[in-house]
Amino acid sequence: MTAKTTTQTEPQWFVNRKPGRSIIVARWVPVALVSAPVLILFAIVIYPTIWMFYHALQDTNMVRLFQGSWSYVGFANFAGVLGAERFWNSVVNLLVYLSFGACLQVLLGAALALILYETVKSNALRTTLLILMVLPMMLPPSIVGVVWRFLLTPSNGAINQALLNLGLIDSHIEWFNAGVSLWSVIIADVWNWTALPLLIVYSGRVSLPPAVYEAAQVDGADGWTTLRRITLPMLKEIIAIAFIIRFMDALKFVDLVFVMTSGGPAQSSELPAYIAFQRGIRSFEIGEAAAYAIIIFIFSAVLITLFLKYIKKVLNAQGFA
Amino acid sequence: MTRAPSRPPPAGRWPLIRALLLAFLAVWLLLTLFPIYWQFITAFKSTGETNLTVPTFWPREWHPENFAAIFFERSNLNALIDSFLIATGNTLASLFLGSLAGYAFARFPRQAGGENLAFWILSNRMFPPVAVLIPLFLLFDSLPWGTDSRLSLIILYLIFNMPLATWLMMVFFRDAPRELEEAAYLDGYTPARAFIKVTLPLVLPGMISVAMLCWIFAWNEYLFANLFVGTEVRTFTIVIPTFSHGSQTLWNLQMAFSLIAMLPPVVMFIALRRYMVRGLSLGVVKG
Repeated sequence: MTAKTTTQTEPQWFVNRKPGRSIIVARWVPVALVSAPVLILFAIVIYPTIWMFYHALQDTNMVRLFQGSWSYVGFANFAGVLGAERFWNSVVNLLVYLSFGACLQVLLGAALALILYETVKSNALRTTLLILMVLPMMLPPSIVGVVWRFLLTPSNGAINQALLNLGLIDSHIEWFNAGVSLWSVIIADVWNWTALPLLIVYSGRVSLPPAVYEAAQVDGADGWTTLRRITLPMLKEIIAIAFIIRFMDALKFVDLVFVMTSGGPAQSSELPAYIAFQRGIRSFEIGEAAAYAIIIFIFSAVLITLFLKYIKKVLNAQGFA
Repeated sequence: MTRAPSRPPPAGRWPLIRALLLAFLAVWLLLTLFPIYWQFITAFKSTGETNLTVPTFWPREWHPENFAAIFFERSNLNALIDSFLIATGNTLASLFLGSLAGYAFARFPRQAGGENLAFWILSNRMFPPVAVLIPLFLLFDSLPWGTDSRLSLIILYLIFNMPLATWLMMVFFRDAPRELEEAAYLDGYTPARAFIKVTLPLVLPGMISVAMLCWIFAWNEYLFANLFVGTEVRTFTIVIPTFSHGSQTLWNLQMAFSLIAMLPPVVMFIALRRYMVRGLSLGVVKG
């Protein structure tokens, strides 16, 4: 904001503004512009969260809620949840899902992104392939669930038939039996969401400075060394972000479970978020559901904090924030 | 072809490794496309053919009338219309609120609450919705329009779309030079008029991409729709999964319906490709 001394057309409020102040509108204007979203988020996120924290410590269920007769029970809901086999079962499922769903997606996505960037020479082809590989992510989750339920139909589904034709199996796999149904969900989820780490790592790789690679080439580094010493260290934060996002999503992962298995058979493919949903919405055991929700919330809060830390770094580096 | 000369050929020295990597890419591409291919051919099969014990990998005869059958059913059409109205309404609201807040964050960061407030708004997008479903349900139940209405979903989807719009618009407003705005002040424009006449046209392409992204997320949403609506209002995301719960599973119609329903996001996504790499990594954080 240098000396702008043109005279006649300057409006009075512009002439009168205090020098050195970056703001040339009234002080309340930016506050007003920001306050609308903030107030809405208070109403539909903060207030419900406080409500859940409160009821996690009460013995609320549907009847007591409408009579207004709930009472304080301390941490009994949490004790109940932590003592229940159903909860620990879902935690085991979550760990399986994290290692073979979320982690696999990030590793696979990162590998595919780097392979795509390094080996496909034509720009147009690379973009086309990227779009095709990222496509599943943009499909409605309920459709993904339906399509995979159909593909995995044990008796005459396409996957069983394809595996039979390829000679990989001798008899139909019962994809929706206990012990297998979780894996069916994971397969569908890997198909659906490998695209996200792929896109994140690919865009991270695109933004790396070419000068570094020129230097490496001059120094005679081969592809493997370049990958290990330059690309991966420089993409460290980006890959961390991809992991964190997938882990956050794991904590709220409900839709595919819902559409494909409904947590079954016999609760064998349940994840914590699904139980929170079931107990709260179907059984209306609000206290218990709230306890589940708070546990999920705490882990989410940790991950969100981590995410913000890393994204600040990356955004700063890329000149966004 | 138009490859930058600076790009080293990392696997170039070993053509075999390069070939293996390309094969890996090809296999994954095949796995990615197979479900969509299967969806496509099933949508054209007859009901009898979908129920064969050994499924056919190419339709014996094509039945494009399956698609017409979807549109003849009034409830299917209504589901698509409801989804459309909800997604469009929510996109407009998210974009309006997000643009104003994003503009404030871009131009007057300190006065608008600073970086921390901006990051707090973004963090709402990552929030686990199961943690707030019950109180939200009770809250909307007590409102005049109730839970089972388009308006309830339009408001609820703000949880994930408004933070996204705020952030992406903030980035786009930062890229628009403020000097132009200041020049407009000198010409006697008020700040509001300078915003509308000068800055808004500059960010319009970015704004359209944000709108498409928000629209896709709202169109695709399942969890809130499944809980909040279902009688008066039904989105296609809750209609399609229950399609097969009748006595007979009409896979061909279900696949035809889902193909129709996923066409808009796919088309928009392809239109978004210019923004896909830069900046979109922020936006693709799942709602």
